[in-house]
Amino acid sequence: MLPETVNLGEGVLGRFIKNDRFNTTLISFNFYLPLREETVANNALLPFVLTTCSDKYPDFSKLNYKLTRLYGANLISSCEKIGDYQLLKVGISVINDKYTIDEEDLTAQACELLCDLIFRPKAENGEFALEDTEREKRKAIEHIKGEFSEKRIYAKKRLIEEMFKGSAFGISKCGTVEQVETVTGKSLYEAWQNMLKSGFVRVNVVSSEMPKGLFEAVSEAFSGIGRENVTDCKENTCLAPAENVRTVTENMDITQGKLVLGFTSKMSGTDRETLSLSLMCDIFGGGPYSRLFNNVREKLSLCYYCAVGLVKIKGFLTVDCGIDPKNEEKAIKAITDQLFIMKKGMFTDFEFESAIKSTKDSLKTYYDSQSMLDMWYSLKVFEENPPSPEELSELISKVTREDVCEAAKGIELHTVYSLKPCEVEK
Amino acid sequence: MIKKQYFEGPFGEGYVKAVHPTGLEIYIMEKPNFDSAHAVFGTKYGSIDTVFSKDGGEEISVPEGIAHFLEHKLFESEEGDAFTRFAATGASANAYTSFDRTCYLFTCGDNFYENLKILLDFVQHPYFTQETVEKEQGIIGQEIGMYDDNAGWRVMFNMLKNMYSEHPVRIDIAGTVESIAQIDASLLYRCYETFYNPSNMFICIAGNVDADKILKQIEEEVIYYPPVEISRKEFIENESVANTYVEQELSVAIPAFCYGYKQKITTPERSLKTKVCMSLLLELICGEASPLYARLVREGLINDEFGSEYFCGRGYATMLFEGESTDPKRVAEEIDAEINRIRENGIDKKLFSAVKCGMYGDAVRRMGSVVGSAMSLVESAVSGQELYEEIKLLKSVTAESVVKRLVSFSRENSVLSVIVPKEEK
Repeated sequence: MLPETVNLGEGVLGRFIKNDRFNTTLISFNFYLPLREETVANNALLPFVLTTCSDKYPDFSKLNYKLTRLYGANLISSCEKIGDYQLLKVGISVINDKYTIDEEDLTAQACELLCDLIFRPKAENGEFALEDTEREKRKAIEHIKGEFSEKRIYAKKRLIEEMFKGSAFGISKCGTVEQVETVTGKSLYEAWQNMLKSGFVRVNVVSSEMPKGLFEAVSEAFSGIGRENVTDCKENTCLAPAENVRTVTENMDITQGKLVLGFTSKMSGTDRETLSLSLMCDIFGGGPYSRLFNNVREKLSLCYYCAVGLVKIKGFLTVDCGIDPKNEEKAIKAITDQLFIMKKGMFTDFEFESAIKSTKDSLKTYYDSQSMLDMWYSLKVFEENPPSPEELSELISKVTREDVCEAAKGIELHTVYSLKPCEVEK
Repeated sequence: MIKKQYFEGPFGEGYVKAVHPTGLEIYIMEKPNFDSAHAVFGTKYGSIDTVFSKDGGEEISVPEGIAHFLEHKLFESEEGDAFTRFAATGASANAYTSFDRTCYLFTCGDNFYENLKILLDFVQHPYFTQETVEKEQGIIGQEIGMYDDNAGWRVMFNMLKNMYSEHPVRIDIAGTVESIAQIDASLLYRCYETFYNPSNMFICIAGNVDADKILKQIEEEVIYYPPVEISRKEFIENESVANTYVEQELSVAIPAFCYGYKQKITTPERSLKTKVCMSLLLELICGEASPLYARLVREGLINDEFGSEYFCGRGYATMLFEGESTDPKRVAEEIDAEINRIRENGIDKKLFSAVKCGMYGDAVRRMGSVVGSAMSLVESAVSGQELYEEIKLLKSVTAESVVKRLVSFSRENSVLSVIVPKEEK
């Protein structure tokens, strides 16, 4: 089930992921650009401004009306951080023609609409309209501020900022409120031009059938753009282990404390290069069979969740939990004790086998979800021939206990971030 | 032994509905093109079932949050917990409790029948001791603490608390630290024996499975208990609300709001036609293609967090609108005004036909995934309404029958709940 890839221009790759089981078609344009303080906010706004209006649908209620008529076609817009790069995604998901009441040509209309949105936005004299720019700025600012309201997300974001201060990965994926405030219709238009000119591009199609003429239309659209300085997606710097573990504490008026531990690892890279690290993280704090779930949550009742997050390409991991602040020291000790057990290889065969089975089982379910397949291929930008879920599943079977233990040995605590409720005034 | 019926759907698929002699209902949608399967074993028992009697016995009142507590505890057995057993097969298992149901579920790529065996086994074998109950009080206490800081959660429950004076939809699903402290093993068994009787339960499965094989397995593994008669207390609510405005301070950056219109109801359950009409109505009032949505976005009053829902269950029904806004009162006023406008001017026919088209597409989409299909079957099992009826109704429902529902909206019986940013000291 390897996808078919087609070259659609300099640094533009089309990928048809054929899958007969879906009654919808998903098409996504993925633009990869370097993560930089000076461009992050403008870039991050692009997927959103592009999916709210276009030259043909200048008013977003007209656009939304069109989408509703297309049997509730969904537009996809997101901005993600992948290593030291920004991924801007713009896409559409539409039901297949044969499921419409009168066999309408929905897919063709959806392709045309998507190309309109990306290549023919609503702009005049080299600027996006003030109204559209300001609307999306306001929504972006509210989104950034909204992260503050979700303390689990906020705490994790703060840890990453602290750990990667001064490097690309420390930059917030949507920029800061201050950075968004400086965006103008002109700067946004320039960012759009730059995205089309120098972004590394992948166009994914997940469907039972390749929409007729789509890749040809995309290829033609890019041929008129004069692509230059195309992003190569090769640079990714990793953190060295900390000489001294740093602790950052913040106080807020909240009920539950949030604790996030950041660790460096000696291993980093693509899926193929980090198999044992990823398995180690699963045993350590992945599923309910993991060391952290069974010891920190179930045995010690310290928290409701205690889970590992791994960023393979950067070779670092986090452990986060929500706790009663008086248990903080106890929780840190319990977590680091479990890491020690991993390093010593004292995890059980059952835990090891469970992690392998669970990983393989969930890889199989990728084929049942269009958005997961799209995500799978859009995240694997650092290798020319990314493995399919099936291939990765075969590779996982070959990892040994010793490999896992070796991966664990390279892990060191780097930074502790603690968000605590304010002290009650005495 | 098992009674079977087949329902054919409009998108080339269908499902089997079977009833086990115990009264347990089974819904299976075979999806041979898929690789995975999703199974749910559920009971019609949720946070609102706080006062009940079994087989005509004495009515009892149980602590808030006990259904959710029971859900946590059921994963344990004398031999270890169910998660460990699922770990051996590789399945991903979970459970949830809502207002009117508790569901245990798994998704898997391989070993489906082995996983089904585990699911059937652990849900049918409770094991509670005082010691394990106490341990869980610590974990759930942290879960409650997490919800206490969650603006989206708080804003909704503050609204419900002020809208309903009697009905237990007003209480937090997980209860409070104080209420769960009153839970003990014997109380858990009492709830279990009432609500986990097969006659009150359902199994819904979708995916790459064989329906006949599943039915045979269920026949072999479901324990025969005589059906029980459950009598749930009916809470009589008047139309009015305690307060039309409620506010709480939390550590958030932008105010969160939840605006609901309490609806007058005369029967405990809503018909499918009512639900379909209300969903269409919501789309017409504030869906993304509606003039109100455009206006609210243009004026900077809402963002992508905005949404609406016809929130209903046994004994309650509310039309609610939620999101983030720098001016929640303005948003509520605009919604009121739009409802009045539609009442006076009628429905835009062009928009009505587009919105129907969109909802039809959503129904197709749900059937396109294993989890979506299984979840639709769960809805069908809990509501007792046949799955494909919704699509048939969507085609036939008229603008007139939708607009007439607007009568049930009254500003006096609405609650605006707002979470405002707390000033950090």
